[in-house]
Order: sequence, then structure tokens, then C-alpha cells
Amino acid sequence: MLCRVADSLFWMSRYIERAESTVRLLDVTLQSLLETEHSTEDIDYSLWRPLLASLGDQELFESLYTEKRSHHVTEFLLFNKENPSSVFSTVAVARENSRMIRDQISSEMWEVINRLYLFLKNSDPELITREMNFSFFQQIKEYSLLFQGITEATFLHKLGYEFIICGRQIERADKTCRILDTKRLMISMSDEVDDVVDTAQWAAILRGCSAYEAYHRVFADEIEGDLVKTLLVLSRDFPRSVLFSITRLQTALHAISKCPTTHFVNEAERLVGLLISRLQYSTPKDLAGDKVYPLLGLIEDELGEIAVALSDTYMFSEIVDPAAEVAETTA
Amino acid sequence: MEINYDPGNFFDEMFESDGSVRPHYKNLLERFNELSEDEFHQKKSAVDLSFLHQGITFTVYGDSESTERIFPFDMVPRVIPNTEWKHLERGLEQRIRALNLFLHDVYHEQKILKDKIIPSELVLGAKHFRKAFMGIDVPRDIYIHICGTDLIRDDKGDYLVLEDNGRCPSGVSYMLENRQAMKRAFPRFFPSAGVKSVLDYPQRLLSALRHIAPNGNPNPTVAVLTPGVYNSAYFEHCFLARQMGVEIVEGRDLVVSKDDCIYMRTTEGLKQVDVLYRRIDDDFIDPEVFRKDSLLGVPGLVRAYQKGNLGLANSIGTGVADDKVIYCYVPAMIKYYLGEDAILPNVETWLPFRDVDLKYTLENMENLVVKAANEAGGYGMIIGPTASKKELEEFRAKVKAEPRNYISQTPISLSRHPTYGDEGFDGRHIDLRPYIICGEDVNIIPGGLTRVALRKGSLVVNSSQGGGSKDTWVLNADE
Repeated sequence: MLCRVADSLFWMSRYIERAESTVRLLDVTLQSLLETEHSTEDIDYSLWRPLLASLGDQELFESLYTEKRSHHVTEFLLFNKENPSSVFSTVAVARENSRMIRDQISSEMWEVINRLYLFLKNSDPELITREMNFSFFQQIKEYSLLFQGITEATFLHKLGYEFIICGRQIERADKTCRILDTKRLMISMSDEVDDVVDTAQWAAILRGCSAYEAYHRVFADEIEGDLVKTLLVLSRDFPRSVLFSITRLQTALHAISKCPTTHFVNEAERLVGLLISRLQYSTPKDLAGDKVYPLLGLIEDELGEIAVALSDTYMFSEIVDPAAEVAETTA
Repeated sequence: MEINYDPGNFFDEMFESDGSVRPHYKNLLERFNELSEDEFHQKKSAVDLSFLHQGITFTVYGDSESTERIFPFDMVPRVIPNTEWKHLERGLEQRIRALNLFLHDVYHEQKILKDKIIPSELVLGAKHFRKAFMGIDVPRDIYIHICGTDLIRDDKGDYLVLEDNGRCPSGVSYMLENRQAMKRAFPRFFPSAGVKSVLDYPQRLLSALRHIAPNGNPNPTVAVLTPGVYNSAYFEHCFLARQMGVEIVEGRDLVVSKDDCIYMRTTEGLKQVDVLYRRIDDDFIDPEVFRKDSLLGVPGLVRAYQKGNLGLANSIGTGVADDKVIYCYVPAMIKYYLGEDAILPNVETWLPFRDVDLKYTLENMENLVVKAANEAGGYGMIIGPTASKKELEEFRAKVKAEPRNYISQTPISLSRHPTYGDEGFDGRHIDLRPYIICGEDVNIIPGGLTRVALRKGSLVVNSSQGGGSKDTWVLNADE
């Protein structure tokens, strides 16, 4: 497979997942803010700031908007073309990547991305952001899931498929961390967090990860913060948990290199292996209270390094010396 | 829905001058008559939406954001009776054979110049003549593997050759997609005798590409070389690569190594490429030989080609035959190389590099079409009868300054075809681009791309200037 194609498959998949995750984050935040406030327009900007900060977008937002009402934040996260991680921007980049390799992917995969793009392009930002259109969020999530299902069912499960998995799993693990992290930010929102609000916030996080039902099946219990963390970080069965996501990432990496998971042949495999054992040998106690937050930060950093290592190994994003390469392959 | 209008003084593809329907359109016209307006509009929007969703678009630049448009598709297919098609097929095959012999000759012994059939300064001074390719042998002596000859019909219905397009002709993906769209929208409209299939084009193209693999390699690696995603025909490049099941590569994916072979960078290291179907012009294909500033090409590609380590379609230097002045000599080439008379005539043309023709062109410009020898897409030309005095004066000065670079022709009143517009069905001018593949044999895909000038009265069919296209049916019978 061409290095450029591997690169495009990876980013196509990662950006679609990112669009979905951004919507999930926004959804969680809005739902929990609504638990404490009367209407979306009453939400103070200070309550939005933590979310923007966790996405690394606070500075950009403040430079682009003088008015900072709720619908400005949602406009920024959903539609703003100057925000490279807005849902519209990420879908546009995913589409550019898939357009570059549309000979490689199934026509159904291209069409669903193209339809998602046209759907966003033809949406009226004014209308959607002013009314907090939850069904709009739902539609974007469904497009992303449709893309995954179509990929699963129409694309050869060979090398290219594994690069798609890599992009998706890295993004998914990262965003599950960030969604969990919003709880820390919510705490800082108000001084008096009573139990009702606390539970409502955890419930919003579970919903944001499509984990509400899963939680009740696993724990058959009232919603409790430490159990939510355990499910979303350490579960071996829940598909959006961090451990589950990176275990699937490991399988994909080793399918590409054909090296058994007991060894490693490149830096990405080594880093993933280390991270997995760290989580495999963690207990719910390690996540209790505030202890989870430094861990989340560490996982996010590690995922970043894994992505760089993966690119160095397979996508040659750096300038390579062709002569050296030739010598290598003829040797 | 009724198709009914006055054909006027034009040659109309569907109607005789007395308004009666031509036999090969009879069946189609009846079907249209049975169709309700609602049904027609339903089908039309379904087709347009399907083109948009599939991204069968071309890119229009200009705004801050380049926009993608669908190439307008007209729902009334153009129909060609079998006998008429056979005649076209013979003419096109004769032409491509002569062109390939000509290109081999001008890059080797230049007999046709020595025998003074064509003035040698015309060929040697042509903009796209590649001196660096003198004496280079190309696989199987084929220069033009894919040709998209533009044909038009005059007011008597005679077919004429307008130009040959022996470099990188585009549009074949529209031909294939148009057929798919028609089959989905109007399955019942296809006549019982049958329409010749065009859908094996990608397979025929692949076999022609495999035919030129270096050293007769029976299992070559073939790839499509594209300028990239921002090229307006990128959809087509991908489409063809996918249909043939080969890689699509950009310049940056390829590297020429010290052994003068060409490789693509893969996740498993370098892999040799044997044949390239290139959709990049000569000028941009290798910065070591042609434009130094090109980032699209592959440094060393020409070296690999000259050393015989690469098959390239089309070959380098075929543009000399696309020069509109050289085009005028194609009938003479046919006579010279094949000893035959041209089956398909050219449009009557004057060559201002001859004094007599220059005088005639300058004196009659208001009645002529004058074209620059190396422009395409409807650019660099003037249509005398519709031009202003000032425009004519400016063009006269240009022709006088560089007579070698212009030709002039009698304006042809292109044939018209029923086409759907805001006011229902009416006649619009059309042309025809059949696709010719030259591999082990010459293969002419039955039909081709019919382009239609959607604006009333317009003679310009180019997509960049308000043109659309139609499905083109070659019948298995004559009606």
C-alpha cells in the first residue's frame, strides 16, 4: 500500500471519529449545564471555558468572538471554518482525504462521507445553534456510525482496514479521556455540588459515551462516580472504554506488522504495549477521587506519541532519502 | 411529454427537415410521449442527486472556495444507427493508424518531411514537438494509446473531424456514468434490438496498458499518474484506477532510483512500476527535462522511459499531432502512410503561414472562425460572424504577427439534438467525442461522449462554458 494512501485512510477515519466525539462532548456539556441552569442562553461563558480549554481551543475562540454567548460556542465547535477542529472542518478534511483515495475505498464509504459533508454544508448554523438542536447531534453521530458499519461490511479487511482502525481507536480513546475530564471542569463550575447534580453530571457523561445502559447492565446500581470511571477507563468489554479502544489498536498495529503481540517491532507497538499493561494492572482504587485526572492526562500524551510513532514507521511524513531507501530494499 | 419543435435550417438528429421522426429515433420518441411530466422530473432529480452524492463533479476555480459542480446531464439520449457507426469506426481506425505512423516517423527518419508532404519547419517548429525524443524507441511503436477525436456534423449531416486530442483526452468517465444513469432512470427505453455496451472500457484500457509493459513483462504493475486531488478531472482518474483495479499515484509517490527504474513508496518499502497511464501533460511530467518548477512530476521519469524501463501512455511528444496546423495534414498522412483516401474529412481549413491563405483569412475574417494552433477548451479563438469590429481588428493583428500559429475555418452549423431546458424540449447544438484505444488492436468504444451546448444558439459545448452531456447509443440495428 502507498504510504500516502495509508496516511489518508488513517486521517479520514480519525477525523470522522473526531467529528462524532466533538458532538458527543458538546452534547454532554449542554445536557449537564441544563441540569443546573434554566435555559441555554443563561449559561455563563465561564461555564463553557473549561470545555474549550480541554479541547485546546479556548484561545482561538476568544480571538474570533467578541460576544461569547452559548450559541457562539456551539457555532464555533460545529460550523466555524476558521476552527480546524470544528465538526464542519474535520468532516471537510475527512472528505478531502477520502477523495484522494476514493479509488481505494468502497464507493459506499465515499458516498456516506460526501453526504455527511453536504448535510453540514446545507445546514443553517443560525437555526441549529440557537435552538440547541439535539436531533442534529444525533444525526451526525449516526452518520459516523453508518460510516463505520459500511466500512466493516464493504471494505476489504486487509492492510488498509487496519489503518482505518488505528485512526479511529486513537481518537476514540483520547476523546473518552476528554469526556471524562469534563467532570473535573464541571466541579469547578459551582461551589455547591449537591448529590443530585453530581449524579446528573455523571449520567450525562455516560450518555455522551453511549454508556448509560451498559453501566446499568454491568453494575445494576445507582450511578456512582468511581464506577463510571472504572467502566470508561478499565472495562475490557465496553467498546468506548480506554482499555478496550487501545487493545483494539494493538491488534490493528500487529496485524499491519504481522508481529505477534508478545513482541514489538516498532515504537508504536512498544508504547501501546506499555500503556495496555499499565491499565490492565490498574484497579478501581487507582482511579478513585481525583487520582483519575493525572492518569487521563498521561494517557492523552501517550496516545499523541503513539500517533507520531505510527506515522514515522509507515507514512514517512518526514522527508526521506530515496537513495537510502533503494539501498535498503535491494540489500 | 411531447418532443416537438421546428428544426429550422439546422440538421436535427431526431427530425427530418419536414418534421417527421428519423427511423432510429422512432422508438425513443414514442417512449417519451408516454412519459408524464411528473415522472420525467422525478427521474431527472434522482439522476442529478445521484451524480452529486457520488461526487461525479468537476471543480470550478475562482472564488475563495473552489466549488464542485456536476456536469449537467441531459436526459434525451443521442442515437446512432449501426451502419452510420460502422462508417465512423472505419474512419477513426484509419486516422489513429496514420497518426501513430506519423509520430514514429517524425521522431525517427522524418521521411514525410524529406518527401515534402509536410513542410518540415511546421513540424520541427511546433510548440509540442519534443526534440529530446528524436531516435527514442517506444514500446510497440505506439505513441497515442488513448485518443478522443472530436467529431461534428454539418448542416447536411456529414461527419467532420474537428480535432484529434492525442495527449490526455478526458471525459470518458462521464460516458460510463451517463450510461449507468440512463439504465437506472429509463430501463424501459432501451430498444429491444439493443444498444452496444460501453462498460468494458476500463478492461480494454487495462489490456492496452499491459500491452506496452517493458520487455514484454506478462504481469506488469500498472498505475494511473494524476496531478492530484485539485485537478478538475481527479474524479475521472480515480474512477479509472478503481475500475481497472490499479493504484493511483501522484508524483510524490514515485521515485526513480539509480538503476533508472521507477518505484512507488509503499508501507512495505519500494515497489517497481512498469506502466503509467499518465494524466499529466508533458510540460509537468519531469522537472529534470521539462518545466523545472513542476512539483507534480517525477524527477527522472523521462530517463526511465528512454532507458526502456517504463511503458507510458500516451507517449511524450504526441502534442505535435494536436497542433491545429498539423491537423490539416492528417488526410495527407493517411494517403502517404496507408495509401488510402481519408474516410472522415477534416473541416475546410486555411493556413495563414501560406501567403494566399493569410490574405484570404484577413480579408474574410468576419465570415470565418479563427483559432490559435495550440489552444483548447474554446479559448484563443474568434467566431467572425458574431465578433465586434474591434475584436476582429485585434485578431487580424495577432494573425499577421504570427501566421504560423493560427488557422481559419468556415463556421460549421453544428447539428442539433432535442434537449430539455426551461421551456421544454428544443434543439441544441452537439458534438461527439468517441474514445479510441490503441493496444494490440484498435478498439473504438461504440458511442462516446456527446457534448451539448445548453444555451440556446450557442456553439460552445465545453463544460467550462455552459456545456452538458448526453448518453450516446449506438444501436445494434439501423432502427
